[in-house]
Amino acid sequence: MVLSSLRELVSYRALIQILVARDLKARYRGSVLGLLWTLFNPLLHMGIYALLFSVYMRSATERYAVFLLCGLLPWIWFSASLMMGATSIVEGGSLLKKVFFPAHVLPTVTVTANFVNFLLGIPILFTFLVLYGVQMGLPILLLPFIIACQFAFTLGLTFMIAAVSVHYRDIPHILGHFLTFWFFLSPIVYPASQVPESYRFILLLNPFVPFVVAYQDILLYNLYPSPGVCGEMLAIGLGILLCGLCVFTHFRWSFAEEI
Amino acid sequence: MIAVEVENLSKRFRRQTVQPYTTIKSALVDIFRRRKSTEAESFEVLRDITFSVKQGQTLSILGRNGSGKSTLLKVLAGIYRADHGRICVHGRLGALLDLGTGFHPEFSGRENVFINGIILGLSKKEVRQRFDRIVQFAGLETSIDEPVKTYSSGMYMRLGFAVAVHADLDVLLIDEILAVGDAAFQLKCSDKIAEFRQHGKTIILVSHDLTSVEQLSDEVLWLDRGVIRERGEPQRVISQYRWDMVGPEERTGLPEHH
Repeated sequence: MVLSSLRELVSYRALIQILVARDLKARYRGSVLGLLWTLFNPLLHMGIYALLFSVYMRSATERYAVFLLCGLLPWIWFSASLMMGATSIVEGGSLLKKVFFPAHVLPTVTVTANFVNFLLGIPILFTFLVLYGVQMGLPILLLPFIIACQFAFTLGLTFMIAAVSVHYRDIPHILGHFLTFWFFLSPIVYPASQVPESYRFILLLNPFVPFVVAYQDILLYNLYPSPGVCGEMLAIGLGILLCGLCVFTHFRWSFAEEI
Repeated sequence: MIAVEVENLSKRFRRQTVQPYTTIKSALVDIFRRRKSTEAESFEVLRDITFSVKQGQTLSILGRNGSGKSTLLKVLAGIYRADHGRICVHGRLGALLDLGTGFHPEFSGRENVFINGIILGLSKKEVRQRFDRIVQFAGLETSIDEPVKTYSSGMYMRLGFAVAVHADLDVLLIDEILAVGDAAFQLKCSDKIAEFRQHGKTIILVSHDLTSVEQLSDEVLWLDRGVIRERGEPQRVISQYRWDMVGPEERTGLPEHH
């Protein structure tokens, strides 16, 4: 069942491609800054957090601005996917109600469109890394692996949220707050090493932590993530994707009737 | 050869009150009240429907409002899932339901043609090859790049119909679309339907226009409150249906059928 829905997704890749292009176009059409806006968004966040933590609170983290950016870009991809994914089925109602439409396509489009945004941010990240004189090496070759795992993780979670939101319409509202808490509980604006020993368990419970830490290790410290962390990311990615597909397939047939 | 086969099909709906969806709060309240909301409040829209359509035939479905016609088409189209029974379709099936026909209002006509074409089973390349013919058939050359939300209902439907007739479908489900559009386009549609039939395609049609139903169909199926009341030769079923539609006091003067 899960395999067949994955195969279905692959067979509809032309449709996904059109919808992603459309999604990105719609996002930038009509705004003066257009595409630049996506690039400004993480930079604005970076600027504000850098001011808060590096200047006001005098955090001792080296190269704080670029440290922030390493975690912020993946986080924005992740959280924006969930936020938009939560309403993707309800908003796609006109398609689902009138024709046979492969519902799996809708959350996939959301995650993919945000993934493209993330990719557009990567050159900026590298510009900053170079500006700050960060030395990068072979560990960078692991980046695609981490991105792929994060894609699976994000997609799986978006499937779940999208399906459940059709039945519980207040989820999109709660989700915004929940993601804010999740953001601050992830080592994005502070390094994981600054978390006191007695609070470390919070990091262990957070499935986003291995991803942030891996990005930071690879990009900032020229370190290979440990095989344990790599295995963890792979397990989280595949596990959540599988759960997400199961949940989504379970609710799939109620969409046309519930919207 | 049989093109569409339906066996013992049943479909239930949840009865929806003011608030059609649940919130987490109302779900919690339900748990505390130990009430299971779905089972008690569902009702049967289609009950034990069995029929088949031979390849190349046109079947029309008649019935009053709320008799389950549209639901039946939606189940056949794969939008709803049947609760019981079996549906078997040989060949590629596409549906033209309501006016929306699955367009995204914010997208341009062009984008919707591609989306719709792919959903109906064409590849991107095939849509591109047929694109000009589709737009020409719909008569939308000047407005194809505008968002479809600016289209009139006639334009909406013309575009939907244009994509569907160019999608190489074997089985076509049509719901009430012949009633809209101007006379010229209606003629175009009837011609195209006739052409479809000549090419041996199968059509399942829902319409309230009894005259065109009589002209177009090989067989008529009369749905009444979710069950098949009558099925057979168009002329006979239609006159029985007409008889049933008028109230008992107006029946005097009409020929008796039962």
